[in-house]
Amino acid sequence: MTIDSQLSLLKQTQVGGPKKPLQVSRDIIKKLAQGDKDSVLSAIQDAIKLEHSTIPPYLYALYSLDETKNAGIADIIQSVVVEEMLHMTLACNILNALGGTPDIDTPSFIPTYPGTLPGIEPPNPNWKVDLKPCSKDVVQSVFMQIEMPEKPHDFPVKPQAVLGAEEAEELPRTIGAFYQLLEAQIKNLGEGAFVSPPRNQVGPDIMFESVVVSDFASAQQAIGIIIDQGEGTDPDPFDEEGAPAHYYRYAEIIKGQKLGKIPGNPPTYAYNGDPVTLDTSGVWKVAPDRKGDNQAVLTFNYTYTSLLKTLHAFFNGQNTSQQFNTALGLMMSLKQQAMEMMSTLGVGPSFEYQPTNPGINSGG
Amino acid sequence: MSYLNPLRLHFAGQFQASVSTVNNDPDHYNNATFKPNYQQPGNANGWWNPRGDGAWRLIGCHVTSAFMADGSAVGQADQIRMSLIADSDSKTSAKLVDLDPEQQLVSQIWGMEVRITDSAGNALVRGCYEPVGFMDIWKRIQQGQGDLTAGAMYQSVLTNLEWGDISASPFLQALKQAADDGLLSIKFNVESYSMASNKPNFTRGRIVGTIGPASATEPRHFVAGRQLLTTTNVQLGFFQPVQQINFCVAVVDQQRGKVYLDLGNALPISTSGGPPAPLGDLQLICIVDPIFRNEQMLIGSIPQATYTNPAWYPQTAGIIELPADRALSQDDLSSIASNPLWLRIASQSNKQIPAVAEHASGLYIRADQFVLRLNPDEQAQAQLYATQFGQPYPNAQVLAISDPSQLQQAPNTSPSAISFPAFITTNEQGIAELPIATSDPGSQRDFIDGQVYGIRVHLTDMLFIPSGNIFSVFNPANFISLLVWEAFEPAEPLTWWGTTDQNSIQSIFQQYANLYPVMQDFLDLSDYQSVRENIFLLQLAFGLDPSDPNSMPVTRDLSFAKRQAILRWMNDPQEGTPRPRAAPPQAIPSVLSAETPDSAAAPDKAASRGGKEAALNRRRSVRFSRHS
Repeated sequence: MTIDSQLSLLKQTQVGGPKKPLQVSRDIIKKLAQGDKDSVLSAIQDAIKLEHSTIPPYLYALYSLDETKNAGIADIIQSVVVEEMLHMTLACNILNALGGTPDIDTPSFIPTYPGTLPGIEPPNPNWKVDLKPCSKDVVQSVFMQIEMPEKPHDFPVKPQAVLGAEEAEELPRTIGAFYQLLEAQIKNLGEGAFVSPPRNQVGPDIMFESVVVSDFASAQQAIGIIIDQGEGTDPDPFDEEGAPAHYYRYAEIIKGQKLGKIPGNPPTYAYNGDPVTLDTSGVWKVAPDRKGDNQAVLTFNYTYTSLLKTLHAFFNGQNTSQQFNTALGLMMSLKQQAMEMMSTLGVGPSFEYQPTNPGINSGG
Repeated sequence: MSYLNPLRLHFAGQFQASVSTVNNDPDHYNNATFKPNYQQPGNANGWWNPRGDGAWRLIGCHVTSAFMADGSAVGQADQIRMSLIADSDSKTSAKLVDLDPEQQLVSQIWGMEVRITDSAGNALVRGCYEPVGFMDIWKRIQQGQGDLTAGAMYQSVLTNLEWGDISASPFLQALKQAADDGLLSIKFNVESYSMASNKPNFTRGRIVGTIGPASATEPRHFVAGRQLLTTTNVQLGFFQPVQQINFCVAVVDQQRGKVYLDLGNALPISTSGGPPAPLGDLQLICIVDPIFRNEQMLIGSIPQATYTNPAWYPQTAGIIELPADRALSQDDLSSIASNPLWLRIASQSNKQIPAVAEHASGLYIRADQFVLRLNPDEQAQAQLYATQFGQPYPNAQVLAISDPSQLQQAPNTSPSAISFPAFITTNEQGIAELPIATSDPGSQRDFIDGQVYGIRVHLTDMLFIPSGNIFSVFNPANFISLLVWEAFEPAEPLTWWGTTDQNSIQSIFQQYANLYPVMQDFLDLSDYQSVRENIFLLQLAFGLDPSDPNSMPVTRDLSFAKRQAILRWMNDPQEGTPRPRAAPPQAIPSVLSAETPDSAAAPDKAASRGGKEAALNRRRSVRFSRHS
């Protein structure tokens, strides 16, 4: 795909939606630009936090769907969520490979909703990410904004490592650029920075498409997957498995059709495929309950916190398929709890850190 | 040693039991006649929780008191005072599981992890709760009708203990030391359950319990102690003890000169969630030399003002130390060691009438684990413990008889698929192993797998001694329930559709799809494509040990043969040739509604029809008495 056809696709996708990709905060970019090991490890922890932060809003939208009416939409969101979890895993693998420790089981790991994503400058003061039932508005103004790639001709050249403060000011700050900088800084740390043998790695035998990170080449591969599936800054909207990058996947919901390739020399792209229809009667339009007085929500939050604890252990040495299966069981429980409360109780889960399950009529 | 000892903590809070109720009606197991409305709530026939997922949870449970081995309350600074009792923070919820649609009165808790945590939820100790069914279910709440009035108790052990940082709790340090067999004893009482789907407490009830050390040599699921017994005159519905107080147990502590009496599942409650009902002062007495002197020796009194105080039950879990103000003398202890104990209601003018009483012989026998699932041609051992006045009863003859009276089914004439000796003998420790052999029950119940059986054991020494009080003793719940699965031959080659409803994977999954509509949140279990799409998750869940809370089926009612066939099929999930399914016939009334006798006019009659009370009224014993 040429730059022109890529730009053309981006332009047609942008119609009615966000115009510019998100910017990572200056502080994070500047710190990463310093290039020392601690700064690099800190940046990777930020990346882990960022990859996780999109998951609750995506899941909330997913859970709000009556899948008998919106199976296609559910599939799209589900596929993005699975890949965000993979990105989180890849980031943990990189951090572990460099001797760091992913910190997942803490209240500050979960962003405040509504709010901006951790480490991200909102594109305008009114832009917020919140837990909202699925709608075209949420998909276009929030999800697509999160996933939006750079314009192809704006795509930055890979930076040199360890920049001075002034040069760091000039760096592009999209998420894709952040990962590019990260890759450069890791390379600069050298092969000696990697722990041998591979440490706390979650490999493809446990999580499909994952990469064991033990040197720069594998770290580069891991970062490549994150960028390719997510931001899609590779000159092709389709990733290696033939799925469109997240931004274009969500766009299918807005455009109402699957993204397709139009044969030609060079080929071009348009939303000309099978219909993708959001049936608004098949959405439980409920708000998250943050009052702390709904037992179903409290139980959900306790389960969600248990999942974070389980993932924390998973990424900090209990890297077994048994541990992964335990996490999977908790994820299934979350889905079921959320769908039941949204469809029968008229409330949604609030994804809050809650290490106990208190009763609402406590004093029993 | 068990929870009923000085070194213990008490806790109180809520439990959640979100059982599915579509499967409460045996006729719903019939794929051929299943109708979609059976999954709808209420009288449409799904009863009060058709989308239940079987979850069992501990909610808002906190430690209410704790005591050291010398009987003193723990110190002010002991961290246990602020501790919580929680379930797992690293696994999916435990599950509440009935043995069978025709035995719904032994619901077991599977896959529970119990933690004692600090107030922030960090584990101080965690352990695996050994699965057990409830015992001694009765009509506990005086006001109201049906399942809402029921109370029951669970007793088990925590194994695989993992201790955290207990440096801030002398109590936990003492507990760890006392638990040198690596076991903790845990017993809790449940009641005040809500079945009202429009109320915030829906599917939840009150739980109050005790944790203490356990010994490996003692039974895990009851206390080898002084068993105070009763009986009933009421045939229908929940057990109603003749003198209002339910089965309970006491332990005599020779060293401290005290008796620990557990009334946690024995005192009736006036209204849901409230304190025990006022029955007057209670007296624990010993009948010294019942035959000749028949002297009533008072051990201690429990004033009504004490136990009706709303704070008392959560704080003590109903456990009382008597005498309160002194230690029993050596002479007293000597009398108590070989004479029956009674609990009396002081205002009962006839001194010869106890509320609950030890059998005059002091004898007692029970199976420790009383729920068994067996495949055809399998062997099992039921471990029985016999005691006399709380001590092991060695070299005693045990009579084992087939007793299906408490199973909720019509009598049948099929030959039994279980066999066991009529007589066995207890060893030096008072323990006897009853060997049970099974054969293939075949498809006796057509659309319900296998058959359920009951075995009741008696000490022959007890059979010829009068109980010593004016009523005979009988605990309907004290028997062994068994499910024996039938043989299963899948079609070969192994395909989804098979060649008949009896050899297909589809039929098995169709039944689960019918009975557990909550599964629709994930997939359509009755549909080949949907199952194919989710095969990885299903392989995972069906391959787990039943002790894992994620194990499928949640109901743990799948035979080994069927499970193996399913796992083998999932490795190569071929569809085979679709067979037309018979269209369901015109709406037929549920056999359940025809069978259930009308209870007294009750506002939540509809709710009651699909629950435990309704099941009780399908017992063989009840059918027999109604037809006689």
